[in-house]
Amino acid sequence: MSGSTENEELPATQTGHKGVIHDWRRFKLESEDHDSIPPNKRELLRQMSNPKSRNEDKQEKVNRKMSMQEYEMIQEEDENCLRNYRKQCMQEMHERLSFGPTFDTVFELESGEAFLEVIEKEHCLTLVVVHIYDDGIKGCDALNNCLTCLAAEYPSVKFCRIRASATGAGERFSDDVLPTLLVYKAGELLGNFMCVTKHMNEEFFATDVENFLNEYGLLPEKEFAACPDEVENADVE
Amino acid sequence: MGEMEKLRKEAESLKDQITAARKAVQDLTLQDHTSGTSVVGRVQLKIRKTLRGHLSKIYAMHWGGDTKLCVSASQDGKLIVWDTCTTNKVHAIPLKSSWVMTCAYAPSGNMVACGGLDNMCSIYNLKGKDGNVKVMRELAAHTGYLSSCRFISDSEIITSSGDCTCCLWDIETGTQKTIFAGHLGDCMSLGMAPDFNTFISGACDFTAKLWDIRDGQCRQTFAGHESDINAIGFFPNGNAIITGSDDASLKLFDLRADQELMTFQDSSIMCGVTSLAPSFSGRLLLAGYDDFNCNVWDTLKAERVGSLAGHDNRVSCMGVTGDGMACCTGSWDSFLKIWN
Repeated sequence: MSGSTENEELPATQTGHKGVIHDWRRFKLESEDHDSIPPNKRELLRQMSNPKSRNEDKQEKVNRKMSMQEYEMIQEEDENCLRNYRKQCMQEMHERLSFGPTFDTVFELESGEAFLEVIEKEHCLTLVVVHIYDDGIKGCDALNNCLTCLAAEYPSVKFCRIRASATGAGERFSDDVLPTLLVYKAGELLGNFMCVTKHMNEEFFATDVENFLNEYGLLPEKEFAACPDEVENADVE
Repeated sequence: MGEMEKLRKEAESLKDQITAARKAVQDLTLQDHTSGTSVVGRVQLKIRKTLRGHLSKIYAMHWGGDTKLCVSASQDGKLIVWDTCTTNKVHAIPLKSSWVMTCAYAPSGNMVACGGLDNMCSIYNLKGKDGNVKVMRELAAHTGYLSSCRFISDSEIITSSGDCTCCLWDIETGTQKTIFAGHLGDCMSLGMAPDFNTFISGACDFTAKLWDIRDGQCRQTFAGHESDINAIGFFPNGNAIITGSDDASLKLFDLRADQELMTFQDSSIMCGVTSLAPSFSGRLLLAGYDDFNCNVWDTLKAERVGSLAGHDNRVSCMGVTGDGMACCTGSWDSFLKIWN
């Protein structure tokens, strides 16, 4: 079952124990000198990495994830090779997840249909933040301004806003739950914050909204993770 | 009729008897029983702390017994013990092998253990006389990767391995006390019972087994998954177990009824489950998937009620504290986050 319906963006076996095995196989195939691994071993690693080719071996009664020959290939590795490999892994993941459309303004949605369209049709990696507001409601204006700032700082996130009356579900968004912030990705509701301003001070700014969304892990990381070249803290040996 | 044929028929008939016995006690489905229970509502957890210090993907983490300290293992070849309240690193332990699959914290807080593609379980003493952390024992005997390890006490630890067996070790002498054999595929995960008398293992033969630690016998076997079981854990009251599989589902099996009570799956989820952790009450179930996503399930209604790490899928491993006060997720970007 694993690998049979492969997500185009991410290869299979990223996490868990098989993730470690997968990482090791990739390291052996891509990072080390060609000479250190004979061609037949490289072929074995390539075959074991491909879940489809392994399904033919299911004749065997015992389901093994690593072959005996691979176990023999495990040895002391060069620290430099490892360091480069790790950097490469992280870089790839960041690139893979930053690929996608970019935006720089807050989009005004005119109707319920436009709302559904934006939730369902956006790229599966794009985070969609929708602000449901209305004129005269406290906090809506300020929140709109904050989102305009954030839209410029987070180009991969699509910020939108829609008047409660335009949604076609006006009764659900009565004055006391506005402003409401809804967060979607790939058609799925990730965050639902009604009367979101109650979580913030009377006067709030873009950074307050940013911090709020970050608390729930909803905004992309601005910082690239720890640079592998940093000097490590003194180790306790 | 030949000998083999007779035995085969006997095995088939026994299997039928077991199925019939299980059906006989199944008077109600869990879903019918809980249809009247009120819904849990959306679960939106907040990040309370971020632990920075690793340089690469976090492969595994485990909470200590005091629910303040935890240990994490990363592709950067380090084991770090964190004080999750202050976010300080209490210990940074360099490992011989960077392909580490599991780490464990002893209930006493005196030791941590880890292992992976080196086929060994290395035990580290955190309370050495001179304040340094040293390797105390290297438990080597498995002929396959070390997929999981859990301490029973400072003198005993259980390991599961890619060689299809699990093992009970005497840490003092570094020898194997009991070998639990029976799985037909790599053992991927193990879970310790709250009373430490039994443990469960999930394997690549699509089954989960319940073992008696003292007599080494397999007491129960649970089938039903259509692919490898990658993650396993006890339900908090010890009467049920939860398994997570490459077939993109999680299953709840009751130990006394000896059968499956619930399956947690959704047609939109197509990748395998690689980690799981129930909440303290058991009402919520956190599940980590192969695409780095993490879903929160309502255990009683088998509905998804939330998701962690909403933006980038980042969760590579996770764990819930013993008192249920927080959960920790490790990511491919080297950070760990504490949520509640």
